[in-house]
Amino acid sequence: MYIEHLAVWDYRNFGRAELWPAQEGVTLLAGPNGSGKTNLLEAVGYAASLRSFRASPTASLVRAGCQQGLVSAAVRRDGRALQLEAEVLVSGRGRLRLNRQAVRRPEDFVGALLVTVFSPDDIELVKGGPQARRDYLDAMIVALSPKLALVAANLERALRQRNALLRSAGGVLRPGMEGVLDVWDDKVAEAGEALVTAREQLVMALVPEVEAAYRELGGREKVELHYERSWDGALLDALRTSRALDLRRGVTGAGPQRDELHFCLDGLVARMQASQGQQRSLALALRLGGHALVTRRQGTVPVLLLDDVFSELDGRRSAALAACLPPGQVLLTAAGAVPADLSVAAAAEVSAGSVFSSPPGGAHGPDGSEGVRDGS
Amino acid sequence: MYATPVQELIDELGRLPGIGPKSAQRIAFHILKSPAEDAARLANAVNAAKTRVTWCRRCFNFAETDPSADDGTGVECDICSNPRRDPSVLCVVEEPRHVVAIEKSGWFKGRYHVLMGALSPIDGIFAEQLRIKELLARIEAEGVSEVILCTDPDQEGSATAMYLVREFKHLPVKLKVTKVAVGLPVGSELEFADELTLTMALEDRREVS
Repeated sequence: MYIEHLAVWDYRNFGRAELWPAQEGVTLLAGPNGSGKTNLLEAVGYAASLRSFRASPTASLVRAGCQQGLVSAAVRRDGRALQLEAEVLVSGRGRLRLNRQAVRRPEDFVGALLVTVFSPDDIELVKGGPQARRDYLDAMIVALSPKLALVAANLERALRQRNALLRSAGGVLRPGMEGVLDVWDDKVAEAGEALVTAREQLVMALVPEVEAAYRELGGREKVELHYERSWDGALLDALRTSRALDLRRGVTGAGPQRDELHFCLDGLVARMQASQGQQRSLALALRLGGHALVTRRQGTVPVLLLDDVFSELDGRRSAALAACLPPGQVLLTAAGAVPADLSVAAAAEVSAGSVFSSPPGGAHGPDGSEGVRDGS
Repeated sequence: MYATPVQELIDELGRLPGIGPKSAQRIAFHILKSPAEDAARLANAVNAAKTRVTWCRRCFNFAETDPSADDGTGVECDICSNPRRDPSVLCVVEEPRHVVAIEKSGWFKGRYHVLMGALSPIDGIFAEQLRIKELLARIEAEGVSEVILCTDPDQEGSATAMYLVREFKHLPVKLKVTKVAVGLPVGSELEFADELTLTMALEDRREVS
Protein backbone atom coordinates (compact mmCIF):
# COMPACT_ATOMS: atom_id res chain seq x y z
CA MET A 1 0.00 0.00 0.00
CA TYR A 2 1.09 3.56 -0.44
CA ILE A 3 0.05 7.12 0.27
CA GLU A 4 -0.74 9.10 -2.86
CA HIS A 5 -1.28 12.38 -1.13
CA LEU A 6 -1.12 13.66 2.42
CA ALA A 7 -2.65 16.96 3.52
CA VAL A 8 -2.77 18.53 6.96
CA TRP A 9 -4.60 21.62 8.17
CA ASP A 10 -3.74 23.39 11.43
CA TYR A 11 -1.60 20.46 12.47
CA ARG A 12 1.38 21.12 14.80
CA ASN A 13 3.40 23.91 13.13
CA PHE A 14 1.57 23.68 9.78
CA GLY A 15 -1.31 25.93 8.74
CA ARG A 16 -1.72 23.89 5.62
CA ALA A 17 0.73 21.48 4.06
CA GLU A 18 0.63 18.88 1.33
CA LEU A 19 2.90 16.02 0.40
CA TRP A 20 2.96 13.81 -2.67
CA PRO A 21 5.23 10.92 -1.78
CA ALA A 22 6.67 8.59 -4.37
CA GLN A 23 4.62 5.46 -4.80
CA GLU A 24 7.61 3.19 -4.42
CA GLY A 25 10.95 3.79 -2.75
CA VAL A 26 12.23 6.58 -0.56
CA THR A 27 10.57 9.97 -0.25
CA LEU A 28 13.08 12.15 1.52
CA LEU A 29 11.78 14.91 3.79
CA ALA A 30 14.73 17.24 4.19
CA GLY A 31 15.01 20.46 6.13
CA PRO A 32 16.55 22.02 9.21
CA ASN A 33 15.81 20.92 12.76
CA GLY A 34 12.48 22.22 14.03
CA SER A 35 11.01 22.72 10.56
CA GLY A 36 8.33 20.07 11.08
CA LYS A 37 9.62 16.99 9.22
CA THR A 38 8.77 14.64 12.06
CA ASN A 39 5.36 16.31 12.40
CA LEU A 40 4.50 15.12 8.89
CA LEU A 41 5.51 11.54 9.71
CA GLU A 42 3.53 11.82 12.91
CA ALA A 43 0.48 12.92 10.88
CA VAL A 44 0.81 9.82 8.69
CA GLY A 45 1.09 7.72 11.85
CA TYR A 46 -1.99 9.44 13.24
CA ALA A 47 -4.04 8.58 10.15
CA ALA A 48 -3.00 4.96 10.68
CA SER A 49 -3.44 4.53 14.42
CA LEU A 50 -5.18 7.70 15.74
CA ARG A 51 -2.24 8.11 18.10
CA SER A 52 0.97 10.07 18.00
CA PHE A 53 4.03 7.85 17.83
CA ARG A 54 5.72 10.48 19.99
CA ALA A 55 3.14 9.64 22.67
CA SER A 56 1.81 13.22 22.57
CA PRO A 57 -1.80 13.77 23.61
CA THR A 58 -4.07 14.45 20.63
CA ALA A 59 -4.77 18.00 21.84
CA SER A 60 -1.11 18.90 21.37
CA LEU A 61 -1.32 17.98 17.68
CA VAL A 62 -3.59 20.96 17.00
CA ARG A 63 -1.75 24.05 15.80
CA ALA A 64 -1.25 26.60 18.56
CA GLY A 65 -4.18 29.02 18.71
CA CYS A 66 -6.54 26.76 16.77
CA GLN A 67 -9.40 24.63 18.05
CA GLN A 68 -9.12 21.85 15.52
CA GLY A 69 -6.92 20.45 12.82
CA LEU A 70 -7.30 17.82 10.14
CA VAL A 71 -5.17 15.02 8.72
CA SER A 72 -6.22 13.68 5.33
CA ALA A 73 -4.52 10.86 3.47
CA ALA A 74 -5.30 9.40 0.05
CA VAL A 75 -4.16 5.79 0.23
CA ARG A 76 -3.95 3.02 -2.37
CA ARG A 77 -4.25 -0.44 -0.92
CA ASP A 78 -4.11 -3.35 -3.38
CA GLY A 79 -5.47 -1.11 -6.11
CA ARG A 80 -8.30 0.18 -3.94
CA ALA A 81 -8.49 3.92 -3.23
CA LEU A 82 -9.04 4.90 0.39
CA GLN A 83 -9.58 8.45 1.55
CA LEU A 84 -8.84 8.82 5.25
CA GLU A 85 -9.76 11.95 7.18
CA ALA A 86 -9.22 12.39 10.90
CA GLU A 87 -9.97 15.56 12.84
CA VAL A 88 -7.74 16.46 15.77
CA LEU A 89 -9.45 18.56 18.42
CA VAL A 90 -8.21 20.53 21.42
CA SER A 91 -10.93 18.86 23.46
CA GLY A 92 -13.11 15.87 22.70
CA ARG A 93 -12.88 13.23 20.02
CA GLY A 94 -12.50 14.32 16.43
CA ARG A 95 -14.71 13.02 13.64
CA LEU A 96 -13.39 10.31 11.36
CA ARG A 97 -14.26 9.74 7.73
CA LEU A 98 -13.32 6.86 5.50
CA ASN A 99 -14.06 7.36 1.79
CA ARG A 100 -16.21 10.39 2.73
CA GLN A 101 -18.37 8.27 5.02
CA ALA A 102 -18.49 9.07 8.72
CA VAL A 103 -16.94 6.32 10.86
CA ARG A 104 -18.31 6.09 14.37
CA ARG A 105 -16.03 3.54 15.99
CA PRO A 106 -12.28 4.26 15.95
CA GLU A 107 -11.56 0.52 15.53
CA ASP A 108 -13.26 0.67 12.12
CA PHE A 109 -10.84 3.40 11.06
CA VAL A 110 -7.59 2.14 12.55
CA GLY A 111 -5.89 -0.42 10.35
CA ALA A 112 -7.13 0.91 7.01
CA LEU A 113 -3.63 2.35 6.62
CA LEU A 114 -0.78 0.24 7.99
CA VAL A 115 2.52 1.87 8.95
CA THR A 116 5.77 0.79 10.55
CA VAL A 117 7.46 3.58 12.49
CA PHE A 118 11.08 3.86 13.52
CA SER A 119 12.00 6.87 15.61
CA PRO A 120 15.12 7.78 17.59
CA ASP A 121 13.20 6.99 20.80
CA ASP A 122 13.06 3.35 19.76
CA ILE A 123 16.43 2.74 21.35
CA GLU A 124 14.29 2.51 24.50
CA LEU A 125 13.09 -0.84 23.15
CA VAL A 126 16.55 -2.16 23.92
CA LYS A 127 17.76 0.11 26.73
CA GLY A 128 14.55 1.01 28.53
CA GLY A 129 12.14 -0.81 30.81
CA PRO A 130 10.10 -3.89 29.93
CA GLN A 131 6.91 -1.90 29.30
CA ALA A 132 8.26 -0.60 25.97
CA ARG A 133 9.00 -4.16 24.84
CA ARG A 134 5.60 -5.45 25.89
CA ASP A 135 3.97 -2.54 24.03
CA TYR A 136 6.07 -3.39 20.96
CA LEU A 137 4.71 -6.94 20.96
CA ASP A 138 1.12 -5.96 21.73
CA ALA A 139 0.99 -3.32 18.99
CA MET A 140 2.16 -5.89 16.46
CA ILE A 141 -0.32 -8.48 17.73
CA VAL A 142 -3.13 -6.01 17.07
CA ALA A 143 -1.73 -5.11 13.64
CA LEU A 144 -1.66 -8.81 12.69
CA SER A 145 -4.99 -9.72 14.25
CA PRO A 146 -7.19 -6.71 15.10
CA LYS A 147 -9.66 -8.73 17.17
CA LEU A 148 -6.92 -9.42 19.73
CA ALA A 149 -7.16 -5.75 20.70
CA LEU A 150 -10.16 -6.84 22.77
CA VAL A 151 -8.10 -9.46 24.60
CA ALA A 152 -5.54 -6.83 25.61
CA ALA A 153 -8.32 -4.43 26.68
CA ASN A 154 -10.05 -7.18 28.67
CA LEU A 155 -6.83 -8.04 30.47
CA GLU A 156 -6.19 -4.43 31.35
CA ARG A 157 -9.72 -4.02 32.67
CA ALA A 158 -9.64 -7.26 34.68
CA LEU A 159 -6.26 -6.32 36.17
CA ARG A 160 -7.54 -2.89 37.19
CA GLN A 161 -10.51 -4.53 38.88
CA ARG A 162 -8.39 -7.16 40.62
CA ASN A 163 -5.86 -4.58 41.82
CA ALA A 164 -8.64 -2.31 43.09
CA LEU A 165 -10.01 -5.28 45.00
CA LEU A 166 -6.58 -6.13 46.46
CA ARG A 167 -6.04 -2.56 47.59
CA SER A 168 -9.50 -2.18 49.09
CA ALA A 169 -8.93 -5.34 51.11
CA GLY A 170 -6.06 -3.63 52.93
CA GLY A 171 -4.02 -6.79 53.37
CA VAL A 172 -6.75 -9.03 54.73
CA LEU A 173 -9.51 -10.68 52.78
CA ARG A 174 -12.85 -10.14 54.48
CA PRO A 175 -15.23 -13.10 54.38
CA GLY A 176 -17.30 -12.85 51.23
CA MET A 177 -14.52 -11.06 49.33
CA GLU A 178 -12.83 -14.31 48.49
CA GLY A 179 -15.49 -15.34 46.00
CA VAL A 180 -15.26 -11.96 44.26
CA LEU A 181 -11.47 -12.25 44.03
CA ASP A 182 -11.95 -15.75 42.60
CA VAL A 183 -13.93 -14.46 39.63
CA TRP A 184 -11.45 -11.67 38.90
CA ASP A 185 -8.65 -14.26 39.05
CA ASP A 186 -10.59 -16.17 36.41
CA LYS A 187 -11.01 -13.07 34.26
CA VAL A 188 -7.31 -12.13 34.50
CA ALA A 189 -6.30 -15.72 33.74
CA GLU A 190 -8.65 -16.03 30.77
CA ALA A 191 -7.43 -12.88 29.03
CA GLY A 192 -3.84 -13.32 30.27
CA GLU A 193 -3.44 -16.83 28.85
CA ALA A 194 -4.81 -15.66 25.50
CA LEU A 195 -2.45 -12.68 25.37
CA VAL A 196 0.65 -14.59 26.45
CA THR A 197 -0.01 -17.29 23.86
CA ALA A 198 -0.30 -14.63 21.17
CA ARG A 199 2.93 -12.97 22.37
CA GLU A 200 4.91 -16.21 22.43
CA GLN A 201 3.73 -17.18 18.96
CA LEU A 202 4.62 -13.71 17.73
CA VAL A 203 8.14 -13.89 19.21
CA MET A 204 8.71 -17.24 17.52
CA ALA A 205 7.67 -15.78 14.17
CA LEU A 206 9.74 -12.63 14.76
CA VAL A 207 13.06 -14.35 15.55
CA PRO A 208 14.08 -15.17 11.95
CA GLU A 209 12.84 -11.78 10.68
CA VAL A 210 14.78 -9.77 13.28
CA GLU A 211 17.88 -11.94 12.77
CA ALA A 212 17.75 -11.30 9.02
CA ALA A 213 17.21 -7.56 9.46
CA TYR A 214 20.08 -7.30 11.96
CA ARG A 215 22.42 -9.13 9.57
CA GLU A 216 21.40 -6.90 6.66
CA LEU A 217 22.21 -3.86 8.79
CA GLY A 218 25.76 -5.19 8.98
CA GLY A 219 25.55 -6.82 12.40
CA ARG A 220 27.61 -9.96 12.79
CA GLU A 221 26.41 -11.03 16.23
CA LYS A 222 23.83 -13.73 16.69
CA VAL A 223 20.52 -12.19 17.79
CA GLU A 224 18.34 -13.99 20.29
CA LEU A 225 14.84 -13.05 21.42
CA HIS A 226 13.56 -14.77 24.49
CA TYR A 227 10.13 -14.24 25.99
CA GLU A 228 10.04 -14.86 29.73
CA ARG A 229 6.75 -15.38 31.56
CA SER A 230 6.45 -14.02 35.07
CA TRP A 231 4.90 -17.28 36.25
CA ASP A 232 5.10 -21.07 35.84
CA GLY A 233 2.28 -23.41 34.89
CA ALA A 234 -1.30 -22.23 34.56
CA LEU A 235 -1.85 -18.51 35.20
CA LEU A 236 -4.91 -19.24 37.31
CA ASP A 237 -2.86 -21.43 39.68
CA ALA A 238 -0.13 -18.80 39.83
CA LEU A 239 -2.67 -16.12 40.77
CA ARG A 240 -4.01 -18.33 43.56
CA THR A 241 -0.49 -19.01 44.81
CA SER A 242 0.55 -15.37 44.78
CA ARG A 243 -2.72 -14.22 46.36
CA ALA A 244 -1.34 -13.66 49.88
CA LEU A 245 1.62 -11.69 48.53
CA ASP A 246 -0.58 -9.74 46.11
CA LEU A 247 -2.88 -8.80 48.99
CA ARG A 248 0.02 -7.34 50.91
CA ARG A 249 1.40 -5.45 47.91
CA GLY A 250 -1.91 -4.36 46.39
CA VAL A 251 -0.85 -5.37 42.85
CA THR A 252 -1.03 -8.51 40.76
CA GLY A 253 2.39 -10.17 40.64
CA ALA A 254 1.80 -12.75 37.92
CA GLY A 255 0.57 -12.23 34.38
CA PRO A 256 1.56 -10.79 31.00
CA GLN A 257 1.81 -7.33 32.59
CA ARG A 258 4.96 -8.51 34.39
CA ASP A 259 6.58 -10.49 31.58
CA GLU A 260 9.87 -9.62 29.92
CA LEU A 261 11.25 -9.88 26.43
CA HIS A 262 15.02 -10.41 26.50
CA PHE A 263 17.40 -9.57 23.67
CA CYS A 264 20.87 -11.10 23.47
CA LEU A 265 23.71 -10.49 21.05
CA ASP A 266 26.15 -13.39 20.93
CA GLY A 267 24.79 -14.49 24.29
CA LEU A 268 25.30 -11.10 25.98
CA VAL A 269 22.35 -9.15 27.35
CA ALA A 270 21.78 -6.36 24.82
CA ARG A 271 20.33 -3.94 27.37
CA MET A 272 23.49 -3.92 29.50
CA GLN A 273 26.36 -5.30 27.47
CA ALA A 274 25.86 -4.08 23.90
CA SER A 275 27.44 -0.92 22.49
CA GLN A 276 25.28 2.11 21.58
CA GLY A 277 25.71 1.26 17.90
CA GLN A 278 24.66 -2.34 18.43
CA GLN A 279 21.64 -1.22 20.47
CA ARG A 280 20.58 1.19 17.72
CA SER A 281 20.98 -1.50 15.07
CA LEU A 282 18.98 -3.93 17.16
CA ALA A 283 16.15 -1.41 17.74
CA LEU A 284 15.97 -0.78 14.01
CA ALA A 285 16.13 -4.54 13.30
CA LEU A 286 13.18 -5.06 15.66
CA ARG A 287 11.12 -2.56 13.65
CA LEU A 288 12.23 -3.82 10.25
CA GLY A 289 11.72 -7.43 11.34
CA GLY A 290 8.19 -6.59 12.47
CA HIS A 291 7.66 -4.75 9.19
CA ALA A 292 8.68 -7.86 7.23
CA LEU A 293 6.39 -10.07 9.31
CA VAL A 294 3.35 -7.81 8.92
CA THR A 295 4.09 -7.57 5.18
CA ARG A 296 4.10 -11.35 4.82
CA ARG A 297 1.09 -12.06 7.03
CA GLN A 298 -1.13 -9.23 5.77
CA GLY A 299 -0.18 -9.61 2.14
CA THR A 300 0.36 -5.87 1.82
CA VAL A 301 3.40 -3.72 2.56
CA PRO A 302 2.88 -1.15 5.33
CA VAL A 303 4.22 2.34 4.72
CA LEU A 304 7.61 2.59 6.40
CA LEU A 305 8.23 5.79 8.38
CA LEU A 306 11.86 6.37 9.31
CA ASP A 307 12.37 9.40 11.51
CA ASP A 308 15.87 10.84 11.59
CA VAL A 309 17.35 7.39 11.24
CA PHE A 310 20.73 8.33 9.77
CA SER A 311 21.72 10.69 12.55
CA GLU A 312 21.48 7.69 14.86
CA LEU A 313 23.64 5.26 12.91
CA ASP A 314 27.33 5.33 12.08
CA GLY A 315 28.52 5.48 8.47
CA ARG A 316 28.81 1.75 7.99
CA ARG A 317 25.37 1.01 9.39
CA SER A 318 23.80 3.93 7.48
CA ALA A 319 25.18 2.60 4.23
CA ALA A 320 23.94 -0.89 5.09
CA LEU A 321 20.43 0.47 5.81
CA ALA A 322 20.41 2.45 2.55
CA ALA A 323 21.27 -0.74 0.71
CA CYS A 324 18.75 -3.01 2.44
CA LEU A 325 15.59 -0.88 2.63
CA PRO A 326 12.62 -3.16 1.99
CA PRO A 327 10.44 -2.65 -1.10
CA GLY A 328 7.40 -0.42 -0.72
CA GLN A 329 6.86 3.20 0.17
CA VAL A 330 9.34 4.73 2.61
CA LEU A 331 9.02 8.20 4.12
CA LEU A 332 12.30 9.30 5.61
CA THR A 333 13.29 12.47 7.42
CA ALA A 334 16.84 13.78 7.57
CA ALA A 335 18.23 17.03 8.91
CA GLY A 336 21.72 16.40 7.59
CA ALA A 337 23.42 14.32 4.97
CA VAL A 338 22.09 10.99 3.80
CA PRO A 339 24.28 8.13 2.56
CA ALA A 340 25.51 8.71 -0.94
CA ASP A 341 24.08 5.47 -2.28
CA LEU A 342 20.57 6.05 -0.85
CA SER A 343 18.22 5.85 -3.77
CA VAL A 344 15.76 8.75 -3.41
CA ALA A 345 12.60 8.51 -5.49
CA ALA A 346 11.12 11.85 -4.43
CA ALA A 347 12.20 14.68 -2.20
CA ALA A 348 10.31 17.35 -0.31
CA GLU A 349 11.84 20.37 1.33
CA VAL A 350 10.35 21.25 4.72
CA SER A 351 11.07 24.66 6.18
CA ALA A 352 9.37 26.35 9.12
CA GLY A 353 5.83 25.22 8.57
CA SER A 354 5.75 24.83 4.81
CA VAL A 355 6.44 21.92 2.53
CA PHE A 356 7.68 22.06 -1.03
CA SER A 357 6.45 18.93 -2.68
CA SER A 358 4.99 18.44 -6.14
CA PRO A 359 2.33 16.12 -7.48
CA PRO A 360 3.59 13.56 -9.95
CA GLY A 361 3.49 15.20 -13.36
CA GLY A 362 3.79 18.76 -12.04
CA ALA A 363 7.52 19.33 -12.01
CA HIS A 364 7.76 22.51 -9.99
CA GLY A 365 7.17 23.32 -6.37
CA PRO A 366 5.44 26.50 -5.18
CA ASP A 367 8.73 28.33 -5.00
CA GLY A 368 9.63 27.34 -8.53
CA SER A 369 12.21 24.87 -7.34
CA GLU A 370 12.32 21.34 -8.52
CA GLY A 371 9.94 19.54 -6.21
CA VAL A 372 10.62 16.00 -7.31
CA ARG A 373 14.15 14.92 -7.63
CA ASP A 374 15.26 11.88 -9.44
CA GLY A 375 17.42 9.75 -7.23
CA SER A 376 19.14 7.82 -9.98
CA MET B 1 -21.69 35.15 36.05
CA TYR B 2 -25.44 34.50 36.30
CA ALA B 3 -27.85 35.39 39.11
CA THR B 4 -27.48 32.80 41.87
CA PRO B 5 -30.73 30.84 41.20
CA VAL B 6 -29.86 30.54 37.50
CA GLN B 7 -26.36 29.31 38.27
CA GLU B 8 -27.77 26.83 40.79
CA LEU B 9 -30.19 25.46 38.22
CA ILE B 10 -27.36 25.07 35.68
CA ASP B 11 -25.18 23.35 38.28
CA GLU B 12 -27.95 20.91 39.26
CA LEU B 13 -28.73 20.05 35.63
CA GLY B 14 -25.04 19.61 34.96
CA ARG B 15 -24.87 16.87 37.59
CA LEU B 16 -27.27 14.70 35.58
CA PRO B 17 -25.69 11.87 33.59
CA GLY B 18 -24.96 12.75 29.97
CA ILE B 19 -25.51 16.48 30.49
CA GLY B 20 -22.42 18.64 29.99
CA PRO B 21 -22.07 22.30 30.98
CA LYS B 22 -23.29 23.57 27.58
CA SER B 23 -26.40 21.38 27.59
CA ALA B 24 -27.10 22.30 31.22
CA GLN B 25 -27.03 25.95 30.25
CA ARG B 26 -29.31 25.37 27.27
CA ILE B 27 -31.86 23.43 29.32
CA ALA B 28 -31.77 26.03 32.09
CA PHE B 29 -32.50 28.84 29.62
CA HIS B 30 -35.26 26.78 28.05
CA ILE B 31 -36.88 26.32 31.47
CA LEU B 32 -36.54 30.01 32.27
CA LYS B 33 -38.15 31.03 28.98
CA SER B 34 -41.02 28.54 29.18
CA PRO B 35 -44.34 29.34 30.99
CA ALA B 36 -44.41 28.93 34.75
CA GLU B 37 -46.87 26.01 34.56
CA ASP B 38 -44.48 24.01 32.33
CA ALA B 39 -41.70 24.43 34.85
CA ALA B 40 -44.07 23.51 37.67
CA ARG B 41 -45.15 20.37 35.82
CA LEU B 42 -41.50 19.31 35.48
CA ALA B 43 -40.80 20.02 39.14
CA ASN B 44 -43.91 18.09 40.16
CA ALA B 45 -42.99 15.14 37.98
CA VAL B 46 -39.54 14.96 39.58
CA ASN B 47 -41.09 15.25 43.02
CA ALA B 48 -43.81 12.68 42.40
CA ALA B 49 -41.34 10.19 40.96
CA LYS B 50 -39.11 10.60 43.95
CA THR B 51 -41.89 10.25 46.55
CA ARG B 52 -44.15 7.72 44.84
CA VAL B 53 -41.55 5.40 43.34
CA THR B 54 -39.58 2.99 45.47
CA TRP B 55 -37.89 -0.39 45.04
CA CYS B 56 -39.86 -3.60 44.83
CA ARG B 57 -39.21 -5.57 48.04
CA ARG B 58 -38.99 -8.78 46.05
CA CYS B 59 -37.03 -8.06 42.85
CA PHE B 60 -35.71 -4.48 43.39
CA ASN B 61 -37.28 -3.20 40.21
CA PHE B 62 -39.09 0.16 40.40
CA ALA B 63 -42.41 -0.03 42.21
CA GLU B 64 -45.09 2.51 43.00
CA THR B 65 -45.68 3.23 46.67
CA ASP B 66 -49.19 2.40 47.80
CA PRO B 67 -49.92 3.35 51.41
CA SER B 68 -53.04 1.12 51.48
CA ALA B 69 -51.12 -2.01 50.41
CA ASP B 70 -48.01 -1.33 52.44
CA ASP B 71 -47.99 -3.33 55.63
CA GLY B 72 -44.62 -1.95 56.66
CA THR B 73 -42.58 -4.49 54.68
CA GLY B 74 -42.62 -2.51 51.44
CA VAL B 75 -44.46 -2.94 48.16
CA GLU B 76 -44.13 -5.16 45.13
CA CYS B 77 -43.76 -4.06 41.54
CA ASP B 78 -46.38 -4.71 38.87
CA ILE B 79 -44.51 -7.77 37.62
CA CYS B 80 -44.01 -9.47 40.98
CA SER B 81 -47.63 -8.84 41.97
CA ASN B 82 -48.98 -10.16 38.67
CA PRO B 83 -50.36 -13.70 39.30
CA ARG B 84 -49.95 -14.61 35.64
CA ARG B 85 -46.14 -14.31 35.78
CA ASP B 86 -44.36 -17.61 36.27
CA PRO B 87 -42.61 -17.54 39.66
CA SER B 88 -40.41 -20.54 38.82
CA VAL B 89 -38.25 -18.66 36.26
CA LEU B 90 -36.09 -15.72 37.30
CA CYS B 91 -34.27 -13.37 34.92
CA VAL B 92 -31.30 -11.70 36.61
CA VAL B 93 -30.37 -8.22 35.32
CA GLU B 94 -28.08 -5.41 36.47
CA GLU B 95 -30.42 -2.42 36.30
CA PRO B 96 -34.16 -1.62 36.25
CA ARG B 97 -33.79 -0.26 32.71
CA HIS B 98 -32.78 -3.74 31.61
CA VAL B 99 -36.14 -5.01 32.91
CA VAL B 100 -37.83 -2.48 30.65
CA ALA B 101 -35.75 -3.63 27.69
CA ILE B 102 -36.64 -7.29 28.19
CA GLU B 103 -40.31 -6.51 28.88
CA LYS B 104 -40.50 -4.80 25.49
CA SER B 105 -39.69 -8.13 23.87
CA GLY B 106 -42.82 -9.60 25.45
CA TRP B 107 -41.22 -13.05 25.36
CA PHE B 108 -40.34 -13.47 29.00
CA LYS B 109 -43.21 -14.54 31.27
CA GLY B 110 -41.28 -15.13 34.49
CA ARG B 111 -40.14 -12.71 37.15
CA TYR B 112 -37.01 -10.59 37.46
CA HIS B 113 -34.29 -9.94 39.94
CA VAL B 114 -32.41 -6.64 39.70
CA LEU B 115 -28.87 -6.78 41.14
CA MET B 116 -28.44 -2.99 41.21
CA GLY B 117 -25.13 -3.06 39.41
CA ALA B 118 -22.27 -5.45 38.64
CA LEU B 119 -19.13 -6.49 40.53
CA SER B 120 -16.67 -3.65 40.03
CA PRO B 121 -14.05 -3.17 42.77
CA ILE B 122 -12.88 0.01 40.99
CA ASP B 123 -16.25 1.57 41.85
CA GLY B 124 -16.31 -0.03 45.29
CA ILE B 125 -18.95 -2.57 44.27
CA PHE B 126 -18.43 -6.00 45.81
CA ALA B 127 -20.86 -8.85 46.37
CA GLU B 128 -22.44 -7.25 49.43
CA GLN B 129 -23.29 -4.04 47.55
CA LEU B 130 -25.41 -6.05 45.10
CA ARG B 131 -28.74 -7.75 45.80
CA ILE B 132 -27.13 -11.19 45.69
CA LYS B 133 -28.06 -12.40 49.19
CA GLU B 134 -31.68 -11.53 48.40
CA LEU B 135 -31.47 -13.44 45.10
CA LEU B 136 -30.17 -16.60 46.78
CA ALA B 137 -32.88 -16.37 49.43
CA ARG B 138 -35.56 -16.00 46.75
CA ILE B 139 -34.50 -19.11 44.86
CA GLU B 140 -35.19 -21.32 47.84
CA ALA B 141 -38.21 -19.44 49.19
CA GLU B 142 -40.04 -19.08 45.87
CA GLY B 143 -39.29 -22.51 44.43
CA VAL B 144 -37.35 -21.14 41.45
CA SER B 145 -36.30 -23.87 39.02
CA GLU B 146 -34.53 -21.81 36.32
CA VAL B 147 -32.38 -18.69 36.46
CA ILE B 148 -31.59 -16.80 33.26
CA LEU B 149 -28.44 -14.69 33.63
CA CYS B 150 -28.83 -11.52 31.64
CA THR B 151 -25.95 -9.31 32.80
CA ASP B 152 -24.08 -7.03 30.40
CA PRO B 153 -21.59 -8.80 28.09
CA ASP B 154 -18.65 -6.72 29.41
CA GLN B 155 -15.95 -7.80 31.88
CA GLU B 156 -17.92 -6.68 34.94
CA GLY B 157 -21.16 -8.27 33.78
CA SER B 158 -19.56 -11.59 32.92
CA ALA B 159 -17.59 -11.64 36.20
CA THR B 160 -20.88 -11.10 38.04
CA ALA B 161 -22.53 -13.96 36.14
CA MET B 162 -19.54 -16.18 36.93
CA TYR B 163 -19.81 -15.26 40.62
CA LEU B 164 -23.52 -16.10 40.69
CA VAL B 165 -22.97 -19.49 39.05
CA ARG B 166 -20.55 -20.36 41.86
CA GLU B 167 -22.93 -19.16 44.55
CA PHE B 168 -25.79 -21.20 43.07
CA LYS B 169 -23.69 -24.37 43.48
CA HIS B 170 -23.90 -23.98 47.26
CA LEU B 171 -27.70 -23.95 47.20
CA PRO B 172 -29.45 -27.14 48.34
CA VAL B 173 -31.87 -26.99 45.38
CA LYS B 174 -31.70 -28.31 41.83
CA LEU B 175 -31.45 -25.29 39.58
CA LYS B 176 -31.20 -24.84 35.84
CA VAL B 177 -28.91 -21.87 35.07
CA THR B 178 -28.81 -20.37 31.59
CA LYS B 179 -27.14 -17.37 30.03
CA VAL B 180 -28.53 -15.25 27.21
CA ALA B 181 -26.86 -15.94 23.86
CA VAL B 182 -24.75 -13.38 22.04
CA GLY B 183 -25.35 -13.18 18.35
CA LEU B 184 -26.52 -11.48 15.22
CA PRO B 185 -29.12 -8.72 15.40
CA VAL B 186 -32.39 -9.68 13.74
CA GLY B 187 -33.35 -7.94 10.52
CA SER B 188 -29.86 -6.75 9.69
CA GLU B 189 -27.46 -8.09 7.14
CA LEU B 190 -24.60 -10.41 7.97
CA GLU B 191 -21.99 -8.13 6.46
CA PHE B 192 -22.81 -5.33 8.89
CA ALA B 193 -22.09 -7.41 12.01
CA ASP B 194 -18.76 -6.64 13.64
CA GLU B 195 -16.14 -9.41 13.65
CA LEU B 196 -16.45 -10.13 17.35
CA THR B 197 -20.22 -10.52 17.36
CA LEU B 198 -19.90 -12.73 14.30
CA THR B 199 -17.22 -14.86 15.99
CA MET B 200 -19.38 -15.34 19.06
CA ALA B 201 -22.46 -16.09 16.97
CA LEU B 202 -20.49 -18.78 15.13
CA GLU B 203 -19.20 -20.25 18.38
CA ASP B 204 -22.73 -20.40 19.78
CA ARG B 205 -24.17 -21.85 16.58
CA ARG B 206 -27.10 -24.21 16.89
CA GLU B 207 -27.92 -27.47 15.16
CA VAL B 208 -30.98 -27.15 12.94
CA SER B 209 -31.35 -30.66 11.59
